[in-house]
Amino acid sequence: MADNDHSKIGEFKPFDLLAVAAAREVTDGEVVFAGTGLPMLAIMLAQKTIAPNAVCIYEAGSIGGRPIDLPTSVGDARCHYQASIANGLWDVFGLLGRGAVDLAFLSGAEIDQYGSVNCTAIGGYHPTGKRLTGSGGNSDINSLARRTVFIMVQEKRRWVERCSYITSPGWRIPKWPGGEFVHKREVYNKAFRGGPGAVISDMGVFRFDDEGVIYLDTVHPGFTPQHIQDNCSFKLNISQISGETKTPTYHELDLLYNVVDPEGIFLR
Amino acid sequence: MGRPQKVSLAEAVRLIQDGDSLTFSGFTIWRRPMAAIMEMVRQGKKDLHLIMVNGGPHDDMLSGAGCVKIWESCWSGHEMFGKIPGNLARKAEAGELICEDYSHVQMLYRFVAGSQGIPFMPTYSAMGSDMLNPEYDMLGKAGLRDGSNPKIPALKYEMYTEKFTGSEVVLVPAAQPDWCIAHVQMVGSEGTVRVLGQNFADEEAMKAADKLIVIAEEIVPEEFIRREPEHNLIPPHLVDYIVELPWAGHPSGCFDYYEADGEFIKNFYNQTRTQEGFDRWAQEWIFDVRDHDGYLNKLGVNRLEKLRASRALGYSQKVKRGSR
Repeated sequence: MADNDHSKIGEFKPFDLLAVAAAREVTDGEVVFAGTGLPMLAIMLAQKTIAPNAVCIYEAGSIGGRPIDLPTSVGDARCHYQASIANGLWDVFGLLGRGAVDLAFLSGAEIDQYGSVNCTAIGGYHPTGKRLTGSGGNSDINSLARRTVFIMVQEKRRWVERCSYITSPGWRIPKWPGGEFVHKREVYNKAFRGGPGAVISDMGVFRFDDEGVIYLDTVHPGFTPQHIQDNCSFKLNISQISGETKTPTYHELDLLYNVVDPEGIFLR
Repeated sequence: MGRPQKVSLAEAVRLIQDGDSLTFSGFTIWRRPMAAIMEMVRQGKKDLHLIMVNGGPHDDMLSGAGCVKIWESCWSGHEMFGKIPGNLARKAEAGELICEDYSHVQMLYRFVAGSQGIPFMPTYSAMGSDMLNPEYDMLGKAGLRDGSNPKIPALKYEMYTEKFTGSEVVLVPAAQPDWCIAHVQMVGSEGTVRVLGQNFADEEAMKAADKLIVIAEEIVPEEFIRREPEHNLIPPHLVDYIVELPWAGHPSGCFDYYEADGEFIKNFYNQTRTQEGFDRWAQEWIFDVRDHDGYLNKLGVNRLEKLRASRALGYSQKVKRGSR
């Protein structure tokens, strides 16, 4: 088998496919904001394959690091290694605000059909909900990056028609203080520059139509659109499926396990 | 303001009064003043008002110990070593403390405004999120925006259409907490502060607060730190108190000095999911060890040596981090 052949079911783990599918969202030369965990694997894999000139920015304040050991959080000293800049939040969030971030990887506990995400409280806000971590930079990045990619677990309770609490604003959102539910463009006006471009779950890859509504694009091998609909609590658009998600190549798997995460931190 | 005063950790922490508002240096599990946090728990502080760009093990620990009344920030947790801030969540869900949620940029900008002496900052960040839902103005709903507490602004935020270009922006109010407790690598003998590695939002936090306590891994000759002033962050006249205390950031990590102790943080998270669990943990790691020296002795030299950062890399390669 050649390095660039695609692996078969059983030769990779679901987590590997998530990392590889996420990495394939990066275009060479893009400026990418990445968070802790899978996003780090994705950007580092992308830089070693299709996007050697992608610049990685970590929210804690480093730009363009060339880590030789996988960081486990964005404040990690490993993000600092061979960075062009090690500064702070004012610097990197300023770049985000300025419109200089092309792509960002994010995650959340709950996602809705418009790409809004909840990572603050499940089951409503205080006093009914279960408290989670809160926004962090999720909301800021989904607000102001040109394109975001969410990595989500495919479960019915997590894929909801509308988030019980919108931490991170997607394509259709309330305009506060009144709360009218409108397209993001009407909320951001001159600061509007994009929003969620893709969602990658453990079962498929999703994208958004012109109205900002999610649809299923590719189905991971081993799953069917029906599996995915069964793990989604709203009626999913499955009329625009373009095919099956390509499995990791042997080369990508080798990079993931032997170069990006040889210690087995995320790829156990 | 004169020269900063050198004090012990216990003396510094004794200056903090019940009900005071506080902020801290660092980012999630990096460069947090953990020894000071544990000393606050020992001294039984009450009704603290935490205003932070982001949280981590430190505010979760203070919450578990019942020291906190108000938490204003955008995030808390333990990175990959604990999914949620278990203690903060338990107290918030029981209504024992108030969480006021903002976004990361909004919190940062509140500190930028505070550090620049201006009343607010504008941003586009997080418009359309429920952080701006008037229903979720938790301090307002608790009747605490009535002006009686100078550290609580009259509004959580305001939407504003500026007339330069006609854009609608969010105005977030300045934050100027009573105290910043910062953990840094190095301070000059006269008080010049140097932070190594990423400085996160330290400059804003240190300048926004009314009073600044700096806890340093080491005090170095002032002459040494002034050889390269471009590497320094804060001048001595802004520092009120200095505590020299190596390893005082543990279990958080300190660039160039030591790694974050993930195993310790994971244990803390797992063992403090209930109040009984927290109380047992605090008895063992905060009260029984009596002070920071006792804490370090309990951790032991072998553990600390593994965490010690490589001089070449700024972090340790001796800690087993994964499954291989």
